[in-house]
Amino acid sequence: MLEQLLIFTRGGLILWTCKELGNALRGSPIDTLIRSCLLEERSGAASFNYDAPGTAYTLKWTFHNELGLVFVAVYQRILHLLYVDDLLAMVKREFSDIYDPKKTVYSDFDDIFRQLRKEAEARAEEIRKAKQEDKPVSNNMGNDSGDGDDNAKGRKLEAHSKGSFVANRNAPAKGIANGKENGSSNNGAFDVNKLQKLRAKGGKKTDTIVNKVPKVETKKKITKKNRIWDDSPKESKLDFTDPVSENGDENIQIVAADQGESMMDKEEIISSESESEEDEEAEKGTKAETKKKGWFSSMFQSIAGKANLEKTDLEPALRALKDRLMTKNVAEEIAEKLCESVAASLEGKKLGSFTRISSTVQAAMEEALVRILTPRRSIDILRDVHASKEQRKPYVVVFVGVNGVGKSTNLAKVAYWLQQHDVNVMMAACDTFRSGAVEQLRTHARRLQIPIFEKGYEKDPAIVAKEAIQEATRNGLDVVLVDTAGRMQDNEPLMRALSKLIHVNSPDLVLFVGEALVGNDAVDQLSKFNQKLGELSPSASPRLIDGILLTKFDTIDDKVGAALSMVYISGAPVMFVGCGQSYTDLKKLNVNHAASSELSPDLTSLFVEVNHFNSVNFVSFAHNGILVYQIAERHPVTCKWRK
Amino acid sequence: MDANKAEQLKAELQQWFNQAELLIRRIPPNQLYAAVGIVLLTVFLFVLVRVFKRTISNTVVLTGLSGSGKTILFYQLRDGSSHQGTVTSMEPNESIFVLHSETSKKGKIKPVHVVDVPGHSRLRSKLDEFLPQAAGVVFVVDALEFLPNSRAASEYLYDILTKASVVKKKIPLLILCNKVDKVTAHTKEFIRKQLEKEIDKLRASRTALSAADITNEFTLGVPGETFAFSQCRNKVTVAEASGLTGDISQLEQFIREHVKP
Repeated sequence: MLEQLLIFTRGGLILWTCKELGNALRGSPIDTLIRSCLLEERSGAASFNYDAPGTAYTLKWTFHNELGLVFVAVYQRILHLLYVDDLLAMVKREFSDIYDPKKTVYSDFDDIFRQLRKEAEARAEEIRKAKQEDKPVSNNMGNDSGDGDDNAKGRKLEAHSKGSFVANRNAPAKGIANGKENGSSNNGAFDVNKLQKLRAKGGKKTDTIVNKVPKVETKKKITKKNRIWDDSPKESKLDFTDPVSENGDENIQIVAADQGESMMDKEEIISSESESEEDEEAEKGTKAETKKKGWFSSMFQSIAGKANLEKTDLEPALRALKDRLMTKNVAEEIAEKLCESVAASLEGKKLGSFTRISSTVQAAMEEALVRILTPRRSIDILRDVHASKEQRKPYVVVFVGVNGVGKSTNLAKVAYWLQQHDVNVMMAACDTFRSGAVEQLRTHARRLQIPIFEKGYEKDPAIVAKEAIQEATRNGLDVVLVDTAGRMQDNEPLMRALSKLIHVNSPDLVLFVGEALVGNDAVDQLSKFNQKLGELSPSASPRLIDGILLTKFDTIDDKVGAALSMVYISGAPVMFVGCGQSYTDLKKLNVNHAASSELSPDLTSLFVEVNHFNSVNFVSFAHNGILVYQIAERHPVTCKWRK
Repeated sequence: MDANKAEQLKAELQQWFNQAELLIRRIPPNQLYAAVGIVLLTVFLFVLVRVFKRTISNTVVLTGLSGSGKTILFYQLRDGSSHQGTVTSMEPNESIFVLHSETSKKGKIKPVHVVDVPGHSRLRSKLDEFLPQAAGVVFVVDALEFLPNSRAASEYLYDILTKASVVKKKIPLLILCNKVDKVTAHTKEFIRKQLEKEIDKLRASRTALSAADITNEFTLGVPGETFAFSQCRNKVTVAEASGLTGDISQLEQFIREHVKP
C-alpha cells in the first residue's frame, strides 16, 4: 500500500497530499530525497531508498517541468508495488489540467485521486495475472508482451524509463521493466567487465615499465646533461639527498624551505570566454542532426519556440553533450547519469522563442555542473583548525587513496600551506608498509622544519596514528597530518585496516587523494572506498570520505572530468588541487571555470582558453586556424590571455 | 558593369539628398527648432526615468540557511497562512503582491516584490541574481536549532555582508529569528551576540585567505576591535518572528520601512 503521495512546487510549497493515506511519514524522507537526490543531479534515477529508524521507504517521483511541479510517491520498501509509475503518470496528467498557479488548495483532487488509484491497482492486478500465466515463456518474451501491453494501454514513455529499480529477481513480475533497464549497467553489483578492464590496465602498466628499463641501461656511459624545457634558470643542484646516515639520526641544520607564497593564496586571473563562440561550436556539433529536419522548419522553431520539449528532441543534443563530457575525461556512467538528470529536468518544458534546443540543454547542463561542483559544506579548513584549537584538540587529517596518487607529496604541500598561516603542523608516518615512505616524510619534515612522528616499519598504522595524536595533544600542536599506505579499493584486508584506523582515531577530515589522470576508475575507487569504510567499520555511524584532494592537475590540459566524476559519485567537495611537485603547487578549485571548461569544445575549435589549473601552459589559436603555441612562466599572476 | 551600377546608385543618392535638403529648407526655422527640442526633451526625460527607476526598487530578498523557514514566511506574507506545509525549495519563489495584512487597508498600496531564495548550499548562486536589485535583505535564522548551525549561518551571513552589491549600495539587512513560538527557541539578543562572535572569528581566518578568495571583496568591521553589527556600513537590525503562527509583524514593519508605500 502506498504510504503517501505528495504534490509540491519546485519552490517548496506542498500543494496536495492524500488525506486518505493519513499516515505521518517517519523521519523526513521528502527532504532527504530533495537534498541527496534531486539536488545532486540524480533525478534520472528510477527510485530512492530512505532508511529511518523503524522504517524503510522507497520513493519514486516525476516532474512536470513546464509548471514546475514535483510528484512524489512513498511506499514501504518490502512491498514491491508495480502500479506506482503508472499512478504517478496518471496523477501528473490529471493534476496538470486542474493546476492553477494562484490556487494553493486542491481539495477536489481527492476524488480524482481515489479513482486513479483504483484504476492503477486494477491494472497492476491484471498484468500480474497475465505474467503468472506466461511464466513458462522466456524472459524476452515477457518483456515484449509487457511492452505490447504498455503501448496498447497508452502509457507514456517516462513511465517506462522509471521502471522500478528495487531489484526484484522475479522475472515475470518485472516484465514491465523494459529492455533498457535490463541492458543497462547494474549499479552496485559486481561487474565482470570492470574486472577484466582492471586486469587489462594492470597488464599495460607492467609492459611500459619493462620497456623503459633496457633503454636507461644502454646510456650509462654517456653522462646525462640536464634537459632544459623552458626559459627557467638552470638549476645547479640536482641532488637533494641529505648527507645523513641511513637511519637519519644526525641532526643536520637545514634552513627551512621557503619557496614563497603557496598558490592557494594567489589570485587567479579570470578569463572571459565569450558565450557566442561556445554556441557556434555547439551548433556545429548538432548540425548533423538538425539537417534531417530541414533548415526552414528548424529556423522557424527556433524563432517561434516549440510547444513542448520531447525526449526525442533532447536526445541528439544530450548525446553530443555526453560525448563532449567523455572527451573531457568524465567517467562514462557519470556522464550518462548527468545527461539523464538534465533530460528529466527539461522534459515537457516549453522552449522559449529565439532559443535553440542545444543552447537550452547547454545552459541546463552548465547549471547542473555548477550545482554539483559547489561544495555542500564549508571547505574552510583554517576555520575548522581554529575551532579545534579552541577546544584544545589537534585537527586530524587522514590522507587515503590508491597507490601512487601523490599522498605523501601533497601531504607535504598541505603542511607547507598551513605553516604559512601560522599553524603548528605535525606529520604522522602511518605508511608502515612501503619502503622509503618514512624516510620520504622525514625529508619533507626536515625541509619544512616540522615535527614528525614515526615508528618505523611493520607497525600497526592505527596504533601509530593514535600515539601521534596523543603526542600532538601533549605538545599542543594544531594539526596532525596522517599519511597512510596506498591500497587498492578491492583489497579487503587493507580496507579493513584503513577502516579500523579511521574508527579508532576518529579524524576530523578524511581526505581522499585522487589523481586527475584517472578515468572511469575514479568512480570505482571512490564508491568502493566509501562502501568499504561504511561496511567494515565497527561503529554504527561510520566515517566516510569528507573531502577530495585532486592531484597531478598539471598533467591534464583541460580534461578536468575526473573532478566531476569524483564529486558526483561521493558527494564530497574538492578541497585542494595539486598542480605540480613543489611545495607551492597547491590550489583551490574554481567551480565556475571547471564547469565551463567541461562544456567547452575541444582544442580544434576557434577560441582561446586559459587553463586555470595549470599555470605552465596556455594555448592560443589565431582566428584563421593557425596554431600559435605559447608556454608561459610559472607565475599565475602574470599569466594573461588575449583573444 | 559594377562600376556603372555604383555610379547610378551614387547619382540616385545625390538626387534624394538634394530633395531632402529642399524639403528641410522649406520648413520655417522655428518649427524645426521646436521639433528638435521636443525630441531632445523626450530623450532626456526617458533617461531620467531610467536612472530614477533603478534607485527605487521594491524588492525584498528572503534568504538564510535551508530549513530556517523562508518559504513559510513568504507564504505568510502573501496569503496570511502557511497552507499545507513546505519542503526544501529547489527554486526561488518570487512574486509581486500587496502584503496580506494590508489588503484590508483602504487606499492605494504599493505592491512589494518578495523573493524567497533557496537556502541549500548548492543553490547559493541564485542569491546573486536577486541581490543587486534588492531594497532590503532578510536573513532568516532558525532560533530553535541555532547552535548546531551557528557556524554555517554565520559563514553565510559573512558572505552576504561582504558582497560588493550589499556593501556599495548599503542594502539594509534584517536578521530575523524565526520559530520563536517554540519554548526552547533562543532570544534575539543571544543570537545576535553569537553571530557577532562567530563572524569575528571568521574575519580572522578569512582575511588569511583573502588574496585567493575572489568572492569576498570587502572586509568587515574595524580591524583590532571585536566585530559588532553596528560597524557594518549597511544597517543591520535583529527581529523576531514565527512563521507557523503567523506572527510576522516585525518583518512587515521592516518591509514597509524600506519599500515606501
